Amino acid sequence: MDNQSIFKYSWETLPKKWVKKMERSEHGNRSDTNSDYLFQLLCFLKLHTYTRVQVSIDICGVDHPSRKRRFEVVYNLLSTRYNSRIRVQTSADEVTRISPVVSLFPSAGRWEREVWDMFGVSSINHPDLRRISTDYGFEGHPLRKDLPLSGYVEVRYDDPEKRVVSEPIEMTQEFRYFDFASPWEQRSDR
Amino acid sequence: MDQGNPMNVPATRKDLMIVNMGPHHPSMHGVLRLIVTLDGEDVIDCEPILGYLHRGMEKIAENRTIIQYLPYVTRWDYLATMFTEAITVNGPELLGNIQVPKRAGYIRIIMLELSRIASHLLWLGPFMADIGAQTPFFYIFRERELVYDLFEAATGMRMMHNFFRIGGVASDLPHGWIDKCLDFCDYFLTGVTEYQKLITRNPIFLERVEGVGIVGTEEAKNWGLSGPMLRASGVQWDLRKVDHYECYDEFDWEIQWQKEGDSLARYLVRIGEMMESIKIIQQALEGIPGGPYENLEIRRFDRERDSEWNDFEYRFISKKTSPTFELPKQELYVRVEAPKGELGIFLIGDQSGFPWRWKIRPPGFINLQILPELVKRMKLADIMTILGSIDIIMGEVDR
Repeated sequence: MDNQSIFKYSWETLPKKWVKKMERSEHGNRSDTNSDYLFQLLCFLKLHTYTRVQVSIDICGVDHPSRKRRFEVVYNLLSTRYNSRIRVQTSADEVTRISPVVSLFPSAGRWEREVWDMFGVSSINHPDLRRISTDYGFEGHPLRKDLPLSGYVEVRYDDPEKRVVSEPIEMTQEFRYFDFASPWEQRSDR
Repeated sequence: MDQGNPMNVPATRKDLMIVNMGPHHPSMHGVLRLIVTLDGEDVIDCEPILGYLHRGMEKIAENRTIIQYLPYVTRWDYLATMFTEAITVNGPELLGNIQVPKRAGYIRIIMLELSRIASHLLWLGPFMADIGAQTPFFYIFRERELVYDLFEAATGMRMMHNFFRIGGVASDLPHGWIDKCLDFCDYFLTGVTEYQKLITRNPIFLERVEGVGIVGTEEAKNWGLSGPMLRASGVQWDLRKVDHYECYDEFDWEIQWQKEGDSLARYLVRIGEMMESIKIIQQALEGIPGGPYENLEIRRFDRERDSEWNDFEYRFISKKTSPTFELPKQELYVRVEAPKGELGIFLIGDQSGFPWRWKIRPPGFINLQILPELVKRMKLADIMTILGSIDIIMGEVDR
């Protein structure tokens, strides 16, 4: 399959200290890397003739609160020339700063802003690191697992003050969490 | 200003003017705020500010099962709703290796292509309205209403269908739907010819659109563009052909692409795509097989999948809907060729009904990034042309 060619090639050619673990599966190949070597790895993938990964499709952050380096930043990449995709993952904790890849992939600008806004993983020397999706005065990083789904503040328009105010949230009904185990299904090894 | 002597030319100011094209727009662009720096009529810089429609779709997904989440997904891209549902359902299907029956695959393709036509139509109307031609805006709604009628007959809702399910579609096509759809295809071809006669060689339109917002091939790839924006710049990249997903390989159709990369090329690509979609729909309608419309076997948990025929579990579990489809502990990036570009979901499953991370990769978000680059030397009026030709929908940009 075409998908495997850039994967195999990069596995054989890359210096081993750049890549901690490479895994291939039918659902897409991924390689885990150390955050120090992230920029070099992506630069290699982008410019090297046999891996020409020119398109950065997606940069995504994932929060695993049980791990020490709780965030994982995932770079989904695509090579239009060889029609294959590869996923590069690096882990970070709340204070690590990862290097921006905007100079390699201009489309990464907004993705990195979103990773900062949603998770709090910032980039060193990013040209424009501001919030992108949340409200103008929002505190906190929404997609972390410790921020509850309903948030901490609610906004409403306050007529005496003639503007929108933020107040601590007031829930009239508690958060409903349904336990969906159907009585017909035996979940014996749970 | 010199008020004294009427023969003198008044002194002009030389500072740049900053104008806010505020979140509300008279045309259907959604809530996008543009802060434009102008020097007279020339645009120096343009900065889009997003986030006005952010609804936390990704965080909500972490607390909903797939079947509970399906009504939410149509709200991302509310004009091409079938694509968002298709991708929500494709992710778990790939993770669980679930086969979709042939008939369900064909029904899905027909719905997807109808949705593509509907989305391109509703792109065309506001695009022309921004340029100044108000009439096509009303004409497109005529055809879009016909698509809505077809959707309502099949799914029950005009826009927010909730039609796709893991393993197929929610219900079969009603009797007589296929004939109505074939009639629609014949009628629509005359409609598209009407648009082409009205618009494509219109000198005012060409004056406004030709040479505006040129994106080169390498630039398009570097900036991560996808969909008609990429294909208008000379890259023949269409996920339906490249990925071989669903049953698109069984039909005979071509990738629409152009070389110039300006707004006219994007317009031509989209009009061409509408005609190709009609071709695909006609072929699918003529070749639709019989069979089940949903893979009911997956309603049982995978542990009991090899249960004995006529056993208690087989008889009762396969008839009851299990509301939790367990996502295995894997990660997956699944994508689909939405009318705006490449819509993708990066899905990390946890061994439970709720996904651990559900990342939406909206095409509009990425396509919008190139806007400040494109408007740099253009006039103020060209901003709307370029913004219209990028075809964004704020529901998916902000999620």
